Amino acid sequence: MNVVVCVKQIPDPAAPQSFDAQYNLDRSGKLILDEADTYGVEMALQLVDKAGSGEVSVVSMGSANDLAGLRNALAMGAAKAVIVSDDALRGTDALGTAKVLAAVIKRDLPDLILCATESSDGYTGTTPVQLAELLGLPSITFAKSVSVEGSTVKVNRQTEAGYDEVTAPLPCVVTVTAGVVEPRYASFKGIMAAKSKPVEILSVADLGLGDETGTKGAREEITAVVAAESRQAGEKYVDEGDGAEKIVAFLESIKVL
Amino acid sequence: MYEWTEEHQAIIGFVRRFVDTEVRPHIDDLEHNGVPPYDVLRKMYVTFGLKDMAQENFQRQLDRKLGGEPSQERRTSDPAAQMITTIELCRVSPGLVTSLGVSTGLAAGTINKLGTPAQMQRWALDLMTLDKVGAWAITEPDSGSDALGGMRTSAKRDGDEYVLNGQKTWITNGPYADTIVLYAKLDDGSNDDVRNRKVLTFVLDKGMEGLDQSRPMRKMGQHGSPTGDVFLHDVRVGKDRLLGETEEPLGGGRQSAKDNFVAERAGVAAMSLGIIDECLKISIEYAKQRKLWGTAISQFQLVQLKLAQMEVARVNVSNLVFSHIERSLNGAVPTFAEASAMKLYSAQAACQVADDAIQILGGNGYIAEYRVEQLSRDARVLRIYAGTDEMQVVAIAKDLTRP
Ligand SMILES: Cc1cc2nc3c(=O)[nH]c(=O)nc-3n(C[C@H](O)[C@H](O)[C@H](O)COP(=O)(O)OP(=O)(O)OC[C@H]3O[C@@H](n4cnc5c(N)ncnc54)[C@H](O)[C@@H]3O)c2cc1C
Ligand SMILES: Cc1cc2nc3c(=O)[nH]c(=O)nc-3n(C[C@H](O)[C@H](O)[C@H](O)COP(=O)(O)OP(=O)(O)OC[C@H]3O[C@@H](n4cnc5c(N)ncnc54)[C@H](O)[C@@H]3O)c2cc1C
Repeated sequence: MNVVVCVKQIPDPAAPQSFDAQYNLDRSGKLILDEADTYGVEMALQLVDKAGSGEVSVVSMGSANDLAGLRNALAMGAAKAVIVSDDALRGTDALGTAKVLAAVIKRDLPDLILCATESSDGYTGTTPVQLAELLGLPSITFAKSVSVEGSTVKVNRQTEAGYDEVTAPLPCVVTVTAGVVEPRYASFKGIMAAKSKPVEILSVADLGLGDETGTKGAREEITAVVAAESRQAGEKYVDEGDGAEKIVAFLESIKVL
Repeated sequence: MYEWTEEHQAIIGFVRRFVDTEVRPHIDDLEHNGVPPYDVLRKMYVTFGLKDMAQENFQRQLDRKLGGEPSQERRTSDPAAQMITTIELCRVSPGLVTSLGVSTGLAAGTINKLGTPAQMQRWALDLMTLDKVGAWAITEPDSGSDALGGMRTSAKRDGDEYVLNGQKTWITNGPYADTIVLYAKLDDGSNDDVRNRKVLTFVLDKGMEGLDQSRPMRKMGQHGSPTGDVFLHDVRVGKDRLLGETEEPLGGGRQSAKDNFVAERAGVAAMSLGIIDECLKISIEYAKQRKLWGTAISQFQLVQLKLAQMEVARVNVSNLVFSHIERSLNGAVPTFAEASAMKLYSAQAACQVADDAIQILGGNGYIAEYRVEQLSRDARVLRIYAGTDEMQVVAIAKDLTRP
């Protein structure tokens, strides 16, 4: 079984972030593998392992100046990586991203495509389902467990109340939640070996794509980036011998008791 | 080499994640509850494939020995990988590195160097993979810096066997060791001055008759590393426990102890770097966020001076570590004096930086939660074991003024 995992290299969330005039995140610095995508990579490795044959590839769109994030996935055990990197992609929105990823994946359709439910920086959570639509494949979102039996994928799909058991025929796009599996540590040997695993760098032209990507193709526009509202000052209770009752009343009012 | 390669950075990333999730949460158990360090070290070995690498490394050394080549120093394929685990572990618990280094480095290293192929297979492999815990015992209550001359532990010939008597002290892993590499003076019945008698190296197993291992001692720092006494009362050993199965092994006895000093001293530089880097990081964060007289204390020149001196130490010690890695890659071994200079400087720098970190954090620096007090206590032994500061000075000066 062959599995493709869509992975995003993102600026280190721990580092200070800055935006350009078009509210694009500055991605010129160090890039790391989005932690959200490490779960997909681990899931894919386990599924291929279980199947006994096939391989895991990772596909990405973004800057190829720093490939540390992809090497990370390769160190964990993925066999190869493809990244589409092109100045023409500047300003690509989520649908455009899905088009680019679809164009790569279509070249050699795998049995299963895994994505995270949402990235840690863009956070739209829309790319995977658009990708499925463009590939004409079924999609299952919010997987808390994934297994493959024959040509069917079985997923427990996280819901507010519990989970749904869902199946779909392969090939299929599945998005996995954080915690679906525990991402492995790469071994030292794996890290050293990742250096010599193939990383294919493609341009928009290589994929036969044009104006449907980049700023021209973008049909959404970020009009403002607003800082999250800082927390309101808390309410003060003065203990006049009834402190305990006041706290109980408060806890009851917010329904934790 | 002056910076980590991309692969090294990836290794650092994974090791750091392991230390943050598998070591930091258990630091109180290691520091205060007497939990021995071996299980977490074993987990690290399995997680990163270090156990498999140790096995391969052992096989290579065994093949070389069988091929009659002089056994090479314990050089792994990339010395940087070992340095990185040392540095990263030392940010949180330098004691872990002390225990690991003694078991896989000193104990297994000595067996591989001096032992026969059969002795290597019998003891060294399990130590290198951490399946077993090793100790390396030379120091005695009456002979530390003067370990070789002042040694009183004796090995008396008795037919084909030796009878061992004496006491070793401050032995890392002593309380838990399955395998103990032990140095003793040959007592051949002659009237030679004890100082000049031959030093023999034996391997002992836990539980042998007459061998007693003390409980862990209370000490200032390095609580992550159990330290104890080893007592010998008429311990009978055959030639099979004498390394090399001869009283004259190549590079044996005194020379083997000295060879180990070089490796140990380079390791201390990497340990210092971990402590320095962590203390500097904590100090910078604190100085930027602690506000007094309406301003961050990082704006006060006296605090800035400390931060700047810490950075100088960090730059110097990391340069020492990088140049050591580069040299090892080229198969070059530092001289005894160079290794001593590296150890002397790094150990003092680590102690100074950790102490300055306490000062910058004020009262919080003295409180365990902020962790610099532990690192300061842990750093202190770097100026004592593997040769005291004074012995490093003696070694350097002796080399410089050699006629
Ligand atoms: C206005 C605008 C401008 C943009 N400008 C740029 C730009 O200049 N340069 C640039 O590189 N990107 C740019 N992007 C693309 C953006 O960074 C995202 O890749 C894209 O919008 C996907 O949205 P998301 O991050 O919310 O992904 P989500 O839909 O939240 O991601 C879910 C999952 O889909 C997959 N996925 C998403 N994005 C990628 C990807 N890029 N590669 C591989 N897998 C992926 C991953 O598995 C991910 O976990 C821009 C987006 C917008 C809206
Ligand atoms: C935590 C810990 C772990 C240890 N682990 C091990 C281990 O695993 N195996 C092992 O064999 N040993 C171990 N040791 C022992 C360690 O190597 C010795 O403590 C060290 O060599 C110093 O010896 P000493 O303590 O006897 O000091 P001494 O030799 O008694 O020195 C006392 C003082 O005199 C100074 N001094 C001595 N000689 C001279 C001189 N010629 N000129 C100037 N000054 C001098 C010293 O520098 C020191 O300041 C460990 C010690 C500690 C604290």
